[in-house]
Amino acid sequence: MTEVESAVETQEASTFSLIDCDVHNYPNSIEELMPYLSARWQAYVRQSGFSGPGGPTYPKGFAQAARRDAWPPSGLKPGGDPDFAREQLLDEWGIDLAILNPLYGMTALHNLDFANALMRAVNAWTAHTWLGSDTRWRGSIVVNANDPENAAAEIKRASADTRFVQVLLLVRSSAPYGKRQFRPIFAAACEAGLPVGIHFGGSGNPITACGWPSYYIEDHTAMSQAFEAQLVSIVCEGVFCEFPELRLALIEGGFAWLPGLMWRLDKNYRGLHSEVPWLKKLPSEYILEHCCATTQPMEEPKNPQHLMQLIEMIGRDEFLLFATDYPHWDFDSPDRALPPVIAGDLRQKIVVDNAVAFYGF
Amino acid sequence: MASKGVDLGAVEAFADGAVQRVEAGGRGLVVVRRGDVFYVLRDICPHQGARLSDGQVTGQVAECSLGGEPALERDGEILVCPWHGWQFDLCTGRSLVDGEKNRVRSYPARIEAGRVLLELD
Repeated sequence: MTEVESAVETQEASTFSLIDCDVHNYPNSIEELMPYLSARWQAYVRQSGFSGPGGPTYPKGFAQAARRDAWPPSGLKPGGDPDFAREQLLDEWGIDLAILNPLYGMTALHNLDFANALMRAVNAWTAHTWLGSDTRWRGSIVVNANDPENAAAEIKRASADTRFVQVLLLVRSSAPYGKRQFRPIFAAACEAGLPVGIHFGGSGNPITACGWPSYYIEDHTAMSQAFEAQLVSIVCEGVFCEFPELRLALIEGGFAWLPGLMWRLDKNYRGLHSEVPWLKKLPSEYILEHCCATTQPMEEPKNPQHLMQLIEMIGRDEFLLFATDYPHWDFDSPDRALPPVIAGDLRQKIVVDNAVAFYGF
Repeated sequence: MASKGVDLGAVEAFADGAVQRVEAGGRGLVVVRRGDVFYVLRDICPHQGARLSDGQVTGQVAECSLGGEPALERDGEILVCPWHGWQFDLCTGRSLVDGEKNRVRSYPARIEAGRVLLELD
């Protein structure tokens, strides 16, 4: 990385009209990562025939879980062609900044050293191949949550490139992220001044508390369960007490469940607060002070007014961040995903201002 | 008795540390004795109406850092509701969480001539 490559050159935040907080980029094959692997791991890949972490356990609604029109004419994969993504997403929709979240499942690998090598390779590849291709891209630092100490070291290394604006965790972890074993990740993120994003997906426990469902429709719908579990864990285990500056983005987990969760958690706190004496205020206050959630997949009640009621129940206009999830099949269109009932200042906050404040753009 | 006040009974009728219900002035009250100090609250939880006299007396877990050894403070001054575990400060009637909003009416009590007297408005 050169100084020029890592320089952030963008327009003034006051002129932004749209920020996309969840876009996905993928290596087209393991070959793209090879230049970023050591000779030892290159040899390992070639000898073993390793082609990448396992495919989806739930076949998606569409190939590569992608919009059918997101396959680039270049023959590369959806999310694999920076030029095409720039045209189809950034240029077409007038997006000023977009955050790349590579969903590379290195945490599925049991060999921690190999997983860590892939972690470093993915981040180097994102910086070189994507962040260097257009000044509007921003990156998330992928980490191997199964090895928090090495994840922290990677956060420290990669965050020197200020185009990385977030540390990325996946919601299906091997244990709730509030557990103390994950503290090095949060500590490193705070030291680097970066928020942590938790995104749908992962390779740890099932998406539901009851085990593995059968169908993708269940997987996709039940994602909120895992997000709820992570949020409750992070609050109750005192992560926000230990890291008062920590910012947490809930990405692709929905948000309609938040009011009920906050009500339940606050209610239980009234009777059970002595169990968690490090908490100094209501759990919902920690959530609202430290967290944001992305909009996609947008909740779509029959009566759009109910969305406004939900946002009112959440109680903070600064809570939501607009996201498309490009190039995935469940892409939220910038001109249609937010219903007209979300208008005026609130709309401006969701599509621009909240992201500017949360990520410090 | 020379002084005004509702007579709740003889001091000896209240066991030290016990939680007792009495009725006086047309209302249910919960009485907790700690030595010569008597705490008296309305016997109804503001949350969902449980009788606080079915609850238990405990202390307050002191705020501590994560992983620290939690200390129990003010043992004997906190009353725990029997239903959802809300905790009330016997001295003030305030809940330990959101005490400004959630409180039980408390009444001053005193001892005169071996009797427990209560000021009811």
